[in-house]
Amino acid sequence: MVGVPLATLKPKRVRKNIELTLWEKLYVFEVLRGLFITTKHFVSNMIGFVIPPKGEKRSIFTVYYPEEKVTLPPAYRGRPVLVAREDGTAKCVACGLCEKICPACAIAIVGGETANEERYPVKYTLDMSRCVYCGYCEEVCPKEAIVMSSEYEGLAQRDRRNMLYPKEKLLRSEENVKGRIEYIRRIYSKCSY
Amino acid sequence: MSEITKDLHSEHMVINMGPSHPVTHGTVKFLATLDGETIVDLKVDIGYLHRGFEKMCENGTWQQVIPYTDRLNYVSPLINNVGYALAVEKLIGIDIPERCKYVRVIACELSRMADHFTNVAASGLELGAFTAFLYFVEARDLVWELIEMLCGARVTANYVRIGGLKNDLPDGFKEKTVEVFKKCRGLWEDVDKLLTKNRIFIDRVRDVGVMPADEAIAWGFTGPCLRACGVPYDVRKAQPYLVYDRMDFEVPIGETGDNFDKYLVRMEEIKQSMHIVEQALDQLPAGPVNIDMPQYRWQSKDDIYNRIDSLIFHFKTVIEGIKPPAGEIYHAVEGGNGELGFYLVSDGSGKPVKCRVRPPCFPLTAAMPRMMKGRLIADIVPTFDMINMIGGECDR
Amino acid sequence: MLADLIESIAKIVFIFSVNLGFFAPVLGWVERKQSAVMQDRIGANRADIFGYTAIGLFHSIADAIKVLCKEDFIPTGANRFFHTVAPFVSLVPAIATFSVIPFGGSYTLFGHNVHLVIADLDVGILFIFALASLSTYGVVLAGWSSRSNWSLLGGLRASGQMLSYEVAMGLTIIGVIMVYGSLKLTDIGAMQADFFRWGIFMQPLGFILFLACAIAENKRAPFDVPEAESELVAGYFTEYSGLKFVMFWMGEFLEIVTIGGIVTTLFFGAWHLPFVTDQMLLSFFQFAGPNGAVILAMLVNIATFFAKVVFFIWLQMAIRWTLPRFRYDQIMRLCWKMILPLALINILITGLVVLLWIK
Repeated sequence: MVGVPLATLKPKRVRKNIELTLWEKLYVFEVLRGLFITTKHFVSNMIGFVIPPKGEKRSIFTVYYPEEKVTLPPAYRGRPVLVAREDGTAKCVACGLCEKICPACAIAIVGGETANEERYPVKYTLDMSRCVYCGYCEEVCPKEAIVMSSEYEGLAQRDRRNMLYPKEKLLRSEENVKGRIEYIRRIYSKCSY
Repeated sequence: MSEITKDLHSEHMVINMGPSHPVTHGTVKFLATLDGETIVDLKVDIGYLHRGFEKMCENGTWQQVIPYTDRLNYVSPLINNVGYALAVEKLIGIDIPERCKYVRVIACELSRMADHFTNVAASGLELGAFTAFLYFVEARDLVWELIEMLCGARVTANYVRIGGLKNDLPDGFKEKTVEVFKKCRGLWEDVDKLLTKNRIFIDRVRDVGVMPADEAIAWGFTGPCLRACGVPYDVRKAQPYLVYDRMDFEVPIGETGDNFDKYLVRMEEIKQSMHIVEQALDQLPAGPVNIDMPQYRWQSKDDIYNRIDSLIFHFKTVIEGIKPPAGEIYHAVEGGNGELGFYLVSDGSGKPVKCRVRPPCFPLTAAMPRMMKGRLIADIVPTFDMINMIGGECDR
Repeated sequence: MLADLIESIAKIVFIFSVNLGFFAPVLGWVERKQSAVMQDRIGANRADIFGYTAIGLFHSIADAIKVLCKEDFIPTGANRFFHTVAPFVSLVPAIATFSVIPFGGSYTLFGHNVHLVIADLDVGILFIFALASLSTYGVVLAGWSSRSNWSLLGGLRASGQMLSYEVAMGLTIIGVIMVYGSLKLTDIGAMQADFFRWGIFMQPLGFILFLACAIAENKRAPFDVPEAESELVAGYFTEYSGLKFVMFWMGEFLEIVTIGGIVTTLFFGAWHLPFVTDQMLLSFFQFAGPNGAVILAMLVNIATFFAKVVFFIWLQMAIRWTLPRFRYDQIMRLCWKMILPLALINILITGLVVLLWIK
């Protein structure tokens, strides 16, 4: 019917063995089997509360936030932050690439020149209510000036105006995001091409 | 009895299983005309999650569409990414490196596993089996941990790029996969024992939502629902893309097309997906994951930081967008629900002219009245669940 | 006379405090925690008083406070009287049925005969069934008076289901009554002093059928179509909030306890420990003097009874969280075409055995 020879198609009939025997037609035995499975989970979890497996606090894999936190992988894309130099100014040169590439149009830059004829962002506003945490701004930045940190807390605000983060709120020192900068240098390096 | 009822003034009750109802996850409205509990007529109303995907694509560049495709079928976002990227690459006419194809296969199959886990879990939940739901949600969470390790986000992945991937596989991925799959297989066995031979579950889903094979093809069914009707059609086998022709996997086929067959097909596909991921990880060749064509794929940061010509080219590609040649293309991949097709029209500029998505669950939702006439209102629940209508995909 | 009065008041206070004061709030906690541990998660344990979370027990207090502070509304056009009365009609039978269940045997304390049951009626079991039938009215009134299509569907389903399962439940019990020869629950309990005369060995089929019918009567999963969360939003109590909503829930939980009590009394030896008679208990506690020994034996029996009730509560919760839900016509078919014939066959076989063998 579809022009694919059966040898490559390899169909597998799924229904062959699922006719119910008389044993299973009586509800009771399957109910007991189901109860056995859930009771097995119940008992192993109760024992896991009292005698946890080694290295962990309990056998259930729930993480008891906010007292315990999940260990995030290095690839995790949290909130975008601006990287600051040692003197506190942003590394950003206001080239406008992140503004252009942002799929949600969350970034607004007003650029200017310092006295040394270096470009810098006079105003850098990131609208956190629009940001979709896609990571494009970090990917296109030519100066490692904006990276996706691992922060995911404190992002909710009560007033929509507080969600427009100005440059001051976005700056982080370079040691703070050192791990992330090393990560992006590694993944976007020439060896992937 | 009929003489008595002739004089009774009785009318059919019109009930509105509206957009916010526990069973219509995906926001769809059913207007059911009931005679007691039997459905006399059913009208389906979609569009409550329409966000203007196609119009947004026209406003953005070709690369900016990729986060939008994440949000189409939001339980299997990587498949959407891969489908779009393959369509654009077919339009341009480039071929991606081998390692990239293998990693894309791994990403697709992990997403497909997440999709099927979610679907079977939601069906179990709405039929009252809360424990099966939570076991599969645990399994899905573990698969999401793998995806988070890969690209940084669990659901809005944004991982595939035109001409490659965002990044290569991280260290320790294979070991974590082995660990996760062991747990997932254990949970799969548990849910199988809880549901598959349980007479209560089988009575709810067997012979409900039956669709004969020729009618299914006429409606436009694809994917697990079509395979449950007995038609052996899988896009990965019929028109192989990426490296699926080198993978050894079976395609589960049902018989009657009822909900029980759909459930069995999906459960079996989870196992086959795990098998494919393990094979792909074994066969993974070394090499680059991105093509070295600066006019279509953003360059490496080494180049951008150090070379001025790369920097200039980078600016041009980002601001104006990549420029595929003018033309139109259609490319289909096997999504979680069926054939996910992308129809792209380009006029040579950096923005797409048209980016239409063929949603696999649209014909399935359209066939709901056909499957539901004459059944009880309680049958809407397993049928609608097994169709796996994802609002983001059906309404775009 | 005064001793009788003191005894009755003590028993009523005890049962009410155990039922309403202990079981009703704790069962909410048990439902949350047991389902959580079965499903690989932690469950609700955040409610605290001055930083002490008692593994989630304070959630019951938090629920009570929340419920008392909610607005109590009646939908426009609904029948105000029936809307208000329905939760009461549903709750009162659940509380009252526990009065005939014996939670201990008969003892002589301070020269006075003490029966550990609030009301030792001659018709025992039938009283329970009569009151349970009344709770059907509560459900139907709630469904009808809410003036909402969903509630109506839930109420109609509930009426059909509860009526059918009452019939079946009555028939499953007849085997037990035939074996023990009495309707009085205290007599049935006393006759199970020997481990091998427990009801489960006499009537295994009756036990399974009765448990199924009782869970169906209580509208718990897998028979919870009247309140099927996914189909009918919340079924017959969609339009209730605040204290009235909680009254429906409390009625359900208390009926779980009652079912546990009935099953224990009829099938699992009531208050007897296996292989331990009352004489052995009294001789074991000789050191406390005659009255002290009786009191200690009473406490052991009460503890045994409630331990068995707790086990059946656990079992009903486990069944609820394991099994999917029936469809409405399948419930009806199960009752009339499977449970009823099996109950009749059970009566037949029991009659033959009683006639030929136990005589």
